[in-house]
Amino acid sequence: MQFEDDEILQGFIEESLEHLADIENDLLAIEESGSNIDEDLVNKVFRAAHSIKGGAGFMGLTAIQELSHASENVLGMIRSKKLTPNPEIINVLLLASDQLQRMIEDVQNSNDVDITSHVDPLNAIADGTFAQTAPLPEQHAPRETPPAPEKKPAAEIPPLEIDLEEEPEFLPEPEIVAPPEPEYDPHPEQPEEAEEEFQEETEEDLYEPETPALMTASPAVVDTQPMAAANTPQRAALKPETTIRVNVSLLDSLMTLAGELVLSRNQLLQTIGTDDFRNAETVGQRIDLITSELQEAIMLTRMQPIGNVFNKFPRVVRDLSKKLKKKIDITIVGKDVELDKTIIEAINDPLTHLVRNSVDHGIEMPEARRKIGKSDSGLVVLKAYHEAGQVVIEISDDGKGLDGEALAESAVNKGLLTAEQIKLMSEKEKINLIFLPGFSTAAKVTDVSGRGVGMDVVKTNLDQLGGHVDITSEVGRGTTISIKLPLTLAIIPCQIIMTGGERYAIPQVNLEELLRIPANQVKERVERVGDAEVVRLRGNLLPLIRLSDVIGLDRTYWDNNEEEFKEDRREQMSDRRGKESPLFGTEAREERKKKQQAPNRSVIDRRHSASSALNIVVVSTGSMKYGLVVDRLLDSEEIVIKPLGRHLQQCKGYAGATIMGDGRIALILDVSNLARIANLTSLDGSDRAAEVAIAAEEAIKAQKDKQALLIFRSSEYEQFGVPLNQVERIEKIKLSDIEELGGKRVMKYREGSLSLIRVDDVAMVQPLADIDNLLVIVFNVANRNVGLLAIGPIDAIEISVDIDDVTLKQTGIMGSAIIDTHTTMLVNIFELVQTLFPEWFHNMEKYELGEDDDGVAPTILLAEDSNFFRNQVKSYMTESGYDVIEAEDGKIAWELLQQHKELISMVITDIEMPNMNGFELTKTIRSDPRFTGIPVIALTTLAAEEDVAKGMAVGVDEYHIKLDKERLMASVHHYMKKMH
Amino acid sequence: MARETQQSTSKNIVELATFYIGDALCGMNILKVQEINKLMKMTKVPQAPDYVLGILNLRGQIVTIIDLGKKLGLGETDISLDPRNIIVNSSGSYVGLLVRKIGDVVEADMKKLEASPANMRGIQGDYFTGVYKTQSNLIGILDIDKVLSIDE
Repeated sequence: MQFEDDEILQGFIEESLEHLADIENDLLAIEESGSNIDEDLVNKVFRAAHSIKGGAGFMGLTAIQELSHASENVLGMIRSKKLTPNPEIINVLLLASDQLQRMIEDVQNSNDVDITSHVDPLNAIADGTFAQTAPLPEQHAPRETPPAPEKKPAAEIPPLEIDLEEEPEFLPEPEIVAPPEPEYDPHPEQPEEAEEEFQEETEEDLYEPETPALMTASPAVVDTQPMAAANTPQRAALKPETTIRVNVSLLDSLMTLAGELVLSRNQLLQTIGTDDFRNAETVGQRIDLITSELQEAIMLTRMQPIGNVFNKFPRVVRDLSKKLKKKIDITIVGKDVELDKTIIEAINDPLTHLVRNSVDHGIEMPEARRKIGKSDSGLVVLKAYHEAGQVVIEISDDGKGLDGEALAESAVNKGLLTAEQIKLMSEKEKINLIFLPGFSTAAKVTDVSGRGVGMDVVKTNLDQLGGHVDITSEVGRGTTISIKLPLTLAIIPCQIIMTGGERYAIPQVNLEELLRIPANQVKERVERVGDAEVVRLRGNLLPLIRLSDVIGLDRTYWDNNEEEFKEDRREQMSDRRGKESPLFGTEAREERKKKQQAPNRSVIDRRHSASSALNIVVVSTGSMKYGLVVDRLLDSEEIVIKPLGRHLQQCKGYAGATIMGDGRIALILDVSNLARIANLTSLDGSDRAAEVAIAAEEAIKAQKDKQALLIFRSSEYEQFGVPLNQVERIEKIKLSDIEELGGKRVMKYREGSLSLIRVDDVAMVQPLADIDNLLVIVFNVANRNVGLLAIGPIDAIEISVDIDDVTLKQTGIMGSAIIDTHTTMLVNIFELVQTLFPEWFHNMEKYELGEDDDGVAPTILLAEDSNFFRNQVKSYMTESGYDVIEAEDGKIAWELLQQHKELISMVITDIEMPNMNGFELTKTIRSDPRFTGIPVIALTTLAAEEDVAKGMAVGVDEYHIKLDKERLMASVHHYMKKMH
Repeated sequence: MARETQQSTSKNIVELATFYIGDALCGMNILKVQEINKLMKMTKVPQAPDYVLGILNLRGQIVTIIDLGKKLGLGETDISLDPRNIIVNSSGSYVGLLVRKIGDVVEADMKKLEASPANMRGIQGDYFTGVYKTQSNLIGILDIDKVLSIDE
């Protein structure tokens, strides 16, 4: 066989042998753990087989490809737990990997090797027909006489029995199977290399008189242990030395530099003895210069053009597209971009996967392309270029693109994520799902790709290299995957920071920007969302993590005046005293007084000084972005990464250590792990998602309702909220837009006049701020639009908080809640409108009054765990003339319903309740024949579609939003009318 | 047992570097010791196990400093009492063992090594390969690789 490119072939051989060297021990470990499958391990072996298959396919080594494909199939089944690895299966796999190794070592003749004796049993295992059909004994032949393809006649040896538990039909004839067992079983477990060392220990086993068949499995398992041990040194010796080709001129320049270094050293030694400082300085400079040049030159020896990897892709694409009957062109840009050799080697596999994916999944069939107006032949573009000290590799195709929704759905179907998690994800996050292990978009497994290994291999490999993968995709237009890689792994530029008196390094690849928030702005810009602190950065919310908190140090701050670190006593960054506001309770004020009398003056005074400013390093990892709060920002430096000892491996927050100029050590921070430690879980860092996730988590924990609120202000100092679902729209207006006509405030709005109201028209709150730029929040009440005047900042948040319906309750205000440390008054828009425009409701009330003719008020059972909402809803009902029986949870409601079954003519229930939730309550009611006709209306704060569907499934008649009084009442009337 | 017999056949006399952990006199094969230092300025590693005092730069190598007293359950070594650092190379990485005091180098005949008691002055017997009796003292031979393993 002739090979066009020797270098690629050599690369394949080296790589495959490395893979195989690992496979053996891993297989043995898998065998040992039995049904208790270690997924990572199986994955590793699986990927190794996959890589070999891929490489062999490209090189045209069909026999190797076929054998590795068969092994991969079996491993795939083990991985998906369809198959429990037992010694026999592992044995077959081991034999196959040995055969692979022999074939790869003699790659020129590999295609002539007969591998059916390995492939057949593998396929039999995969088909589940292994026990019945596999002519396994054939396997032993190459085992005992390794290179000889001679086989024993199959007839001589009865089929090998396999796991009896799995194949109960086999049980009746164990005696037939038994006799040859002791002879065969220990043998296949021995690799030829280990045979000699092994002989002593196994001899007893071998010549032991007939062992019952059932027993043989256990010695086999035990035997594998010494074999694994005996194997390791052999394997290590087999591993080829990696070599590199270096340009002679580069070597020459290295020689010259080394010579210069020696000269400078001599000069230095001479100077050291004298007092000639000026000369010493010159020598120092000289050495500095030479060292940097030397470093650069040495780095250059490791640099190789990325073309070495790229060059094989035209062929890959051509062969694949032929196989798949697609028409695909490939364009390569930037072959000359150079990367460190280790990186070049490591990106080979990921790139192959990505290109194969583009060809297999990305580009459509020619007919399909023609239908949507694309040219017949697809285009795959491979591009490499430098950007900001990194190398970017882009693989783009003009295929069908990735459909985030489809990916999300598939992830849910595979049980990788729950529907709830999906709901919180942005489109980008959904596309990134493709990187989850065990995820594959291809409906069926092909030889080319689509086992769900590709993308997670890519991610794992690139993560190890300190690279980033980013996918942009447009459905129908194509996908671009860009990989950012460091030029080299040995030396990386870092930002040095200081916290708690120690220096830390943050790799520049993770660094987005440095942010310093002056002391007087901290209060405005740092806020709390749930448990997390966030900072407003150009209109976005950026989650903050305090480095000292994450790694468990005492909080300190850097005192510029005294040049030292001091202990920080603040609990929260946003815990800074602001302007006095009547909203703060007396308790808070008293506490503050106490604080002010505290003996440590420096802590108190600090809020005015510069040292109170926040230093934030904005870092990004993957698509997550957050701010790391540190004490001091120092220089940026190029550092050499050194690994940490194994006793510190458990400290996940560090990527390693480095030695600084002064000889001390600084730890290198691993920003993605820091985020993980700090429980910053969002895949994207899109802050909305993070907030929602936090809120959702809390709601689940506390069994409380989530409430979406629109937060606004009327005066500068008082914060208000209204349920978001009542808001129709928000308009920005100028003060001059408001007209006062006939004692009423109106403005022009959509061809008509919009009545404008203010919270302080009704409620006793501070008057609307006298500023020019106002907001109008438009509501629909009693089928008419009404605008509420407000000022910013406005924000829509989703929270689950306790609503206090006593302290601040008054006409127009239904209660208050603490949101982001601000007391927020919840506006009752109906009450406001009702008070101001009672005439709007006349028609309605008449309709309500005419409802009940038989003199007895109908009774409604109301199940709701929140006092606030229960009182609200109850007041709607009683206003309209109904009697209400209240229940705090579903269980109580069910008991009350049974007690008063004649009385109650309707059930209104909340969904989220302790003990028995609304769904369960409805189910219970529906399953009881006594209550067949009773209408059930479910109340929710957020009418999520799946909740609605679930509710309908258990028998909820209608869904309403808790504070949407009008619709709720209309529906109550409607059902009551039906009943009577 | 296999280990002892192996040692006695290959090498009988071993030089032991001895040191004190708390009150216990311990020893290890001197060939395992790379050097012995005074305590240098270290970089603390937040989140590290409590027995790791920090890391330091030893001529370009990052060395993890372990308080042997704490690791073996004898309590912290008092840093003010001028403790010593025994630098060893264990499984490929450099580790500094902080001990209270360095003792003499003792020539020991490994044939005379005795099985270690279950507990020696508060240190679990598991950590010793054996006990060596000199005229005046008992030296516990520490199995450094075992002490430094991170199975817990």
